[in-house]
Amino acid sequence: MSAPAVSPPTATRQPPRPPGRFTELGELARTTPGVLTILAVGLVLVSVLVGVLTAIGVQTRSTALDDLATSSGPLSVASQDIYRSLSDADATATSVFLAGGEEPADQRARYENDVAQAEASLAVAVAAREPADVTAPGSPLATLSAKLSVYTGLVETARANNHQGLPVGAAYQREASTLMRAELLPAAERLYRSEIGQVAGDQDDAGGFPWLEVLVGLAGLAVLVGAQVYLRRSTNRVFNVGLLVATGAAAVSLLWVVIATLGVNTNVDQSRELGSADVEALAQARIAALTARSDETLTLVARGSGATFEKDYGTVADRLGGKTDDGGLLRAARDGVDDEAVRGKVRDAQQAWAQWRDVHDDIRAADDDGDYARAVELAIGGGEDGAAARFDQVDSALEDALASTQQRFTDEVTQASHAITGTVLGVIVLAVLMAAGSVVGIWQRLKEYR
Amino acid sequence: MNRRNVLAAVLGTALLLVTGCGADQTVTPSRAKAEVPLPANAKVLTEPPAAPPAQSCGDPTASLRPGALPAPNALPAGSTMARIRAKGKLVVGVDQNTFRFGFRNPFTGNVEGFDIDMAKQVATAIFGTPSALQLRILTSQQRIPALKSGEVDIVIRTMTINCDRLKDVDFSSVYYQAQQRVLVKKASGITGIDELGGKRMCATAGSTSLANIARAPAKPVPVQVSDWTDCLVMLQQNQIDAVSTDDTILAGLVAQDPFTQVVGDSLESEPYGMAIAKGHTDFVRFVNAVIERMRTNGTWTATYNRWLSDLLGPAPAPPAARYRD
Repeated sequence: MSAPAVSPPTATRQPPRPPGRFTELGELARTTPGVLTILAVGLVLVSVLVGVLTAIGVQTRSTALDDLATSSGPLSVASQDIYRSLSDADATATSVFLAGGEEPADQRARYENDVAQAEASLAVAVAAREPADVTAPGSPLATLSAKLSVYTGLVETARANNHQGLPVGAAYQREASTLMRAELLPAAERLYRSEIGQVAGDQDDAGGFPWLEVLVGLAGLAVLVGAQVYLRRSTNRVFNVGLLVATGAAAVSLLWVVIATLGVNTNVDQSRELGSADVEALAQARIAALTARSDETLTLVARGSGATFEKDYGTVADRLGGKTDDGGLLRAARDGVDDEAVRGKVRDAQQAWAQWRDVHDDIRAADDDGDYARAVELAIGGGEDGAAARFDQVDSALEDALASTQQRFTDEVTQASHAITGTVLGVIVLAVLMAAGSVVGIWQRLKEYR
Repeated sequence: MNRRNVLAAVLGTALLLVTGCGADQTVTPSRAKAEVPLPANAKVLTEPPAAPPAQSCGDPTASLRPGALPAPNALPAGSTMARIRAKGKLVVGVDQNTFRFGFRNPFTGNVEGFDIDMAKQVATAIFGTPSALQLRILTSQQRIPALKSGEVDIVIRTMTINCDRLKDVDFSSVYYQAQQRVLVKKASGITGIDELGGKRMCATAGSTSLANIARAPAKPVPVQVSDWTDCLVMLQQNQIDAVSTDDTILAGLVAQDPFTQVVGDSLESEPYGMAIAKGHTDFVRFVNAVIERMRTNGTWTATYNRWLSDLLGPAPAPPAARYRD
């Protein structure tokens, strides 16, 4: 493996000096050993630079992927959960005032579960943020943390008054609903938007062509090749094992990084297409369905003076299903997904929505005709054909669809994480190998000057 | 050796860089301040509502003289009543937030009260049965627009007859005589509106009470809300100092919160009338005949006893009708 033994190169202008006289730096550059030493130091520095820059580049992707998997991804789910739970809690608490009498135990349980879910998801969202995000006045998390307990307090006051037969209970419930719709839900939506933005940011950080890594890697290779050309010219040796090993290490490192990041990019793009874009459409559809349900209930609670709620219902309904029940967010979500199971779920949601809309028309017709009792029965009464059941069908179909697109998102991100696992360590090891190969290779030549 | 040390140092630094180390952030909890929420549409009026110009229209409570009450199946052809009967329902604008007058009974979910029983009497006179009655909940502010748009046939909702409103709608004869008074917390020690200068007083938007508060010489700060129970919510949340409106409505609020009391003398006389859109004088005369019958056959007193006697004491004589022709 060692190079064939030949006489010292003729290009040397001065005879080799014995070791130990390297201290005179001024002369160093004028001697071949001096040049070789400087070359060795230079190659080590280049190796370190290539290693560090590449490792930082890869680490940035890796961190972004970790965030997607453990932070921004789950947090976007948590924030969506907060919105859903709060909205459902308010619709449930409000519908209690429709039925009259003591609220049914399952309605009360549903409200309590919604609040518990909102609080649990809120705790997750708060824990993941910097304290400053939580305490900044007016920030979504500050609003949610501070106002949720105020909301539940109002609902309990409403309930206590209602249990004594006092109409002021309904006034407290209206105040609670106003707080929910004017402050809590908008804050939850802002939180959701910012988490979705975070996901997109992390996807940008994790994806993208590795320009920096490729340029640095190519530059490292070029320097190594240049060094070998110089050595060949100055020492007449064709091959230098050490430098060859270093060059190999640099090439492997470059290839590894390129292949790993391209794999990651594919997964990240898939997570954008399959996961987040659909999650967004589905989440929007679910929020619209929830809003439509509370509008429907509040229209009846307002009893004749609920025109604004009914108008809002119309707007939200058009956004959710379009004018024809085969458009809007549901259609967009259905067209967006390519997973047949998810598409089936969205189709279920569309079907239930069309039926719900029919029930809603019946509710409005009954209420406008003065048959309030029938309108209330249709809106909150039991039975498969009631608006409550239809809403639950839409909601649970969308929930299933969301869960499975979220699962695909998580799968893609996890796969991407795996693709890049060990790359940082590999890049560092290869950089060390590159430096060591350079030093050994040049040391081989330097030895010949002893 | 030396170079290897350099290498180790550089790689060590690189590792530190890539693994990333930062100093922990110290946090001081910010001072949090509770914000008590307000009922929807609650507003402190910095500019008092323009007081209606003191108009003279003679006696606003003088209504149209009723004729004989026709039987439900013998309503004059082409009359407003016949049209309502043909439509199949009598749409009445009422309240659901005024305890004992028009309120949603939490036990049943039904809207009930003195005003609702009055509406049932009108419905019975047209259809022979109260079941053709359709209630439409209105806030104080929605009453006149709902009549003008034809959304409701009649408004029976603690509505005070005055000259200003007579420009927009017609009124029946007086079916209830209320007095505007002041409600405060018992613990406040306040005994009348004179002590409420600069203090916040609540009334519903569009009510005569709000205009009277704004006109009061003691200069309280008017706060407007949508419904009377919203005033009680704000009083319980310590956001206002007093509520001022008709003794009937206040009695309903006291019944819901025994820590409050009605104080002071009457600020204004508030005669309640049933409001009907302009241009239906036949219906006004018909409704007056219904009210006249209730005055004389004991229905009025029975209705009073059913809803109000435990709050406002024994039934007075029904308010006397006054007619202008």
